[in-house]
Amino acid sequence: MLGVFGAFAAAQGDDVQTGSLTFAQPVLITSIGQSAGAAQARVVAIKAGIDAAYTQRATIEELEGFATLIVVLGASSKGLGAAGVNIDGEIAWATELLDKARELGIQVIAMHIEGGARRGPSSDEIITTFAPHGDYLIVKGSMPDVQWTADESANGNADGLFTTIATENEIPIAYIDATLGAVDVLIELFGIPPTED
Amino acid sequence: MRKATRSAFVWIGVGVLLLSATCFSVCGTAPTSHDVRPGYGVSEMRWLSDYLPALEGTAGDTPIYVLRGGEPGGALLLLGGTHANEIAGVMAATLFVERATVTRGTVYVIPHANNSASRYNSGVFNATTPEWFELTTGAGELRRFRYGDRRTHPEDQEPDPDVFVHYPSGLELDGDEARNLNRNHPGIPDGTLTQQISYALFALVNEEEVDILVDMHESSLTGRLANTLVSHPRAVDIAAFAVLDLEMDGIALKQEVSSEGFFGLSHREFGDRTDAFAFLIESANPGQEASIENPDVVNDPRSPLADRVQLQLRTVEAILANHALLEGTTSGISFTLPFALTELHGGNLGMFMR
Repeated sequence: MLGVFGAFAAAQGDDVQTGSLTFAQPVLITSIGQSAGAAQARVVAIKAGIDAAYTQRATIEELEGFATLIVVLGASSKGLGAAGVNIDGEIAWATELLDKARELGIQVIAMHIEGGARRGPSSDEIITTFAPHGDYLIVKGSMPDVQWTADESANGNADGLFTTIATENEIPIAYIDATLGAVDVLIELFGIPPTED
Repeated sequence: MRKATRSAFVWIGVGVLLLSATCFSVCGTAPTSHDVRPGYGVSEMRWLSDYLPALEGTAGDTPIYVLRGGEPGGALLLLGGTHANEIAGVMAATLFVERATVTRGTVYVIPHANNSASRYNSGVFNATTPEWFELTTGAGELRRFRYGDRRTHPEDQEPDPDVFVHYPSGLELDGDEARNLNRNHPGIPDGTLTQQISYALFALVNEEEVDILVDMHESSLTGRLANTLVSHPRAVDIAAFAVLDLEMDGIALKQEVSSEGFFGLSHREFGDRTDAFAFLIESANPGQEASIENPDVVNDPRSPLADRVQLQLRTVEAILANHALLEGTTSGISFTLPFALTELHGGNLGMFMR
C-alpha cells in the first residue's frame, strides 16, 4: 500500500517533480533522534538504487555536495546515549543542520519508518519540531480513513500526527505500511529507472 | 562426518549428561543437567570449561554443542539462557541442537549460558512463575524444562557487594548485578563465577574465531525491548537488513543499537572486544509481566512459547542470510531444519522436539 496525499502530488518522470519540488541525487541520510531507523533508511535507499551516503549523525560540513538530505525521525535513548547528547542537544544540532541544508539549497525528505514503537514524548518532540521542515514526508502508518491492517505497533500515525503536520504545512506525504514500502516512494521521487532482471 | 560417528558423539554427549546428573546429586556444586537430546546435526559436545578449566566441576560449567556444516564457512555462537528465566532463548537453542543441520560453517550452541541461573527461580519479575514447564512431544512424551532465574544462584557465588562495579569500565550498578551474566562481560578468569563464565565465552569466541554471536533474551510483554533486535554499531547494517526482511515476512521487530555508555552487555562487549558481529534478540515473555498471576509461560495466547521460539530462530536465520549478503559467503553460515520455521507459529513446540 502506498498513498500520497497533500497539497502536492508526486509526479512521474525522469526528473521527478513533487509539486514545484525536484529531488535529485546524491543523497545524504542521517538520523534525528539517533534511532536505528536511519540504518534502515540506508537499506531502503540501497534497494531503491539511489546514490546515498549514510552518517548516523551528520556534521554540517558533511552536507557539502549533496542534493537531498533524508532525515529519519525518532528518538532512541540508547542512540542518544551513544552520541553523548540529550534531547535538547539533539534538537539544537538538528536545527543547525537543517538551517545549513536550506542555506545550501539542499532539499529535505523527512521519514518516520519505525512505526508506533518509535513514538513517545521524545520522538514526538523531534517529529513536531522537524517534520514541518521537510519538503516531503514518508511515514509508516495509517492513511486517514483507511483501516490499518498491519501490526498495530507498526502504525506510526495512529493518532494522525503526521497527517496534521502535512496538512498544516502543506507538505506532500506518503503513507507506507511496511518500511520497505519506502523503496517504491523513493524510486518514484528520484525517478529511478526500472532495473532489468 | 559419517552419521554413525555423529551418533557416537551424540550418545557420548547423552552419557556425559547422565553422568553429570548423577554427580550433581552427589557433588552438589556440579553443573545442572537438562533434557537436551542432541540430533544428528551435532558433531561434537564440549564444555565451557574447555575454554577456562577453572570452571570445571562448578555450577557455571555448561555443555557446548558443535554443529559443523558440509561446506566451509564462518562460525556462529548461539547463546540461550544468559538469563535462564527467558526461556524462548533456551528453547530456541535446545530446538536447534535437537533438529538443525548446519549446511555451511560451524555453529556453537550453548542452551544454558548461565547454568547456575538455570537451577533456581527467585521469581525476580514475577513471584508466581513456575519452577518447571512441560511440553508434550509428537510421541506423547511429557518433557520437563527448568524455568530458571535472571542471575547466578547466590549459593554459587560470594555474597553480593553493596555496589557492583563492572570490570573494566568502572560502571556502578546494584549489588545483585554482580550475578547477572549480561552485566559482567568481558569477565575475569579468576573472578566470581559469573565473571568466569563470561571470560570463558570470550575465550570461545576468540579461539574459535566466531564471526557472529547471537544472545537470545526475553522481556515482558509490554516492556520497551519486547520484540527487538539489538546490535553492536558494527553490525547495524546486518541488523537493519534483517529487520526489514522479517517485516516483509510478517514479523515486526524493533531495532536498537548498543548504548555507548552501558557496559557489560553481550552486544556491546563482544562487539567492542572481539571480531564478532554481536546481536541480542528480545522476544516477549508473559512470565516477566509482574501483573499476570500464575502466568502461562508456554501457552499464553498473547505470546505463546512456540511463536517466541519462531521469532528467535527466524531472526537468527535473517541475520545469517544478511551477514552472507553483506560480508560475503566465505564467512557465511547456514542451517536447515526438517520443518519450516513458520510452522512453529501457533503450534505446539513439543511436537517439533525430539
